[in-house]
Amino acid sequence: MNNEMKTTSTISLHGRAVALTLMVLGALVMVYPYAYMVGSSVKTRKEFAEDKTSLIPSRYQIGEQIAHARGEPSALDWPGADWSVLRNYVDAIRYGHIDRYLANSFIYAVVITSLQLFFNTLAAYAFARMQFWGRDVLFGLLLATMMVPPAVLLIPNFIIISKLGLVDTTWGVIIPGFAGAFGIFLLRQSFLNIPAELEHAARIDGCGTWGILTNVILPLSKPALITLGMFTFMGSWNMFEWPLVVLSNQDFYPLTVGLSLFRSETGADWPRVFAASVMGAAPLIVLFLVAQRYLVGGISLSGMKG
Amino acid sequence: MARTAVMASSTLLQRVTPYFYIAPAIGIACLFSFVSMGVSLWVSFQHYDAFAGGSQFVGLDNYRRALFAEDSYFWLAMRHTFAYVAMSVVGTLLSALPLALLCLRAHYGQALFRTLYFLPSITPGVVLALVFFHIFGNYGQLLDHAWSALPALALLGVWAGAGYNMVIFLAGLTEIPQLLYDAARVDGANQWQQFRHVTLPMLRNTLVFVTVMTIIGSFQVFTSVYIMTSGGPERSTEVIAYSIFLNAFSVAGQMGYASALAWLLFAVIFVFVFLQMRVFRSRRIYDE
Repeated sequence: MNNEMKTTSTISLHGRAVALTLMVLGALVMVYPYAYMVGSSVKTRKEFAEDKTSLIPSRYQIGEQIAHARGEPSALDWPGADWSVLRNYVDAIRYGHIDRYLANSFIYAVVITSLQLFFNTLAAYAFARMQFWGRDVLFGLLLATMMVPPAVLLIPNFIIISKLGLVDTTWGVIIPGFAGAFGIFLLRQSFLNIPAELEHAARIDGCGTWGILTNVILPLSKPALITLGMFTFMGSWNMFEWPLVVLSNQDFYPLTVGLSLFRSETGADWPRVFAASVMGAAPLIVLFLVAQRYLVGGISLSGMKG
Repeated sequence: MARTAVMASSTLLQRVTPYFYIAPAIGIACLFSFVSMGVSLWVSFQHYDAFAGGSQFVGLDNYRRALFAEDSYFWLAMRHTFAYVAMSVVGTLLSALPLALLCLRAHYGQALFRTLYFLPSITPGVVLALVFFHIFGNYGQLLDHAWSALPALALLGVWAGAGYNMVIFLAGLTEIPQLLYDAARVDGANQWQQFRHVTLPMLRNTLVFVTVMTIIGSFQVFTSVYIMTSGGPERSTEVIAYSIFLNAFSVAGQMGYASALAWLLFAVIFVFVFLQMRVFRSRRIYDE
């Protein structure tokens, strides 16, 4: 922080103003697609067909309102102009079953995240604190699994899942995701930073291994656990290709696959698809705003500390 | 007597306990990576149909078909993939690094910028693809022409990754000791010279990291192709990951062929994975 302050103090006011302006312009480029998505999601079908680019539906635009007040023809005369703002959202749920897909995504994300946190904690604790034969080799093996690109695993993972008889089931979607080398690596780093004296003290107080884990290690590793939880939750919420391949029963579709299906089902009814998209993107954005410091910290950690 | 038996069993238990702790994680991680790779290799030597259940050993025929057959789309897909990767890397370096520098310079609103620029990283790729399908359609029908569709997809990739990579660059930039800049200024270095001779060399590891991660990621691009173009127009956006998906899951009995494609993709990516491991190692030495 101190470092940052010093850097900026040497930059002229002019340079700072230019940088700030450019960053604001960049932020607009970042936010525009979201504004477009939300704006389009409250348009009627006709409004969207007539005007694909505006961010505000024509019936809410001032010019149309004035024309309407003067009794001239305006967008407020179009069929469906009396629709409520949330009409497309209601329709997306009623006809597109977006609520079911959202619930499925939520279940997948919660189950995968819980399993990851549980099993990765166990493994990370063993790798950080226990002595056993073959430990370093096994840890190296685990790290090496990170080097295998997911695109290459798509087909064989599908074959394994189908041999296990889990194609088109919830567990088929979940199982390959429930342990990950990245998570074990992240947690192990965090566990290693906890002083061993604390553990010895707990052992003298009569704690077993399990007690140490729950009373000493986990409370002190909250940031790492939250970071891993967020990463896993977001990864599971956003997964697309794997459930697309494993599932054929729509009842099990997560939001991503359901959205893709809803788009082809509805044909040209794009405002509804946008409404569904907003519902699909919103939960993660809210989660991110609540807990972003853990995520951003985690990225720096994963990116920079090797 | 009983006491020693209890003690013996407890030490045995202690010796076995760690394996119970790591077994589920190691088991699943290895099953869905190494075992999976083995299955993939085995299948790539077969005519394999997971749905019908039939398989027949054909040796290297799938690889021969992919590499040398007249009607093979492998080279076409590879060309498109390389073009996509190249555009993504150049685009990422030219956007994320300047953004990180600007963000530091702007000084005010860093947290807000970080949040806004980061939004695409936490939005499902399907949602981004659906929105950009329209944005690209509204401004110049970019997805309707064979020459512009692939650059448009790369643009989406760069846009979506800019904030994430900016955060990584920011972390790298703040770790550069201010002392170096002071020394450079005393020596009369101007802004550009400071960037060229202090920032860039000190940022080398971060640059390599971002480049390699972008390369590995864009080699596997799938969602935007599936949602926005389905490989068209005129196959101009058919990339290798999409090819693999199509052959394995849309055409019956082509899983062996698709697995051969996957292994060829792995061979290419492995070069970069290897590079990444080297960088990790060099970084650790650098840190110490």
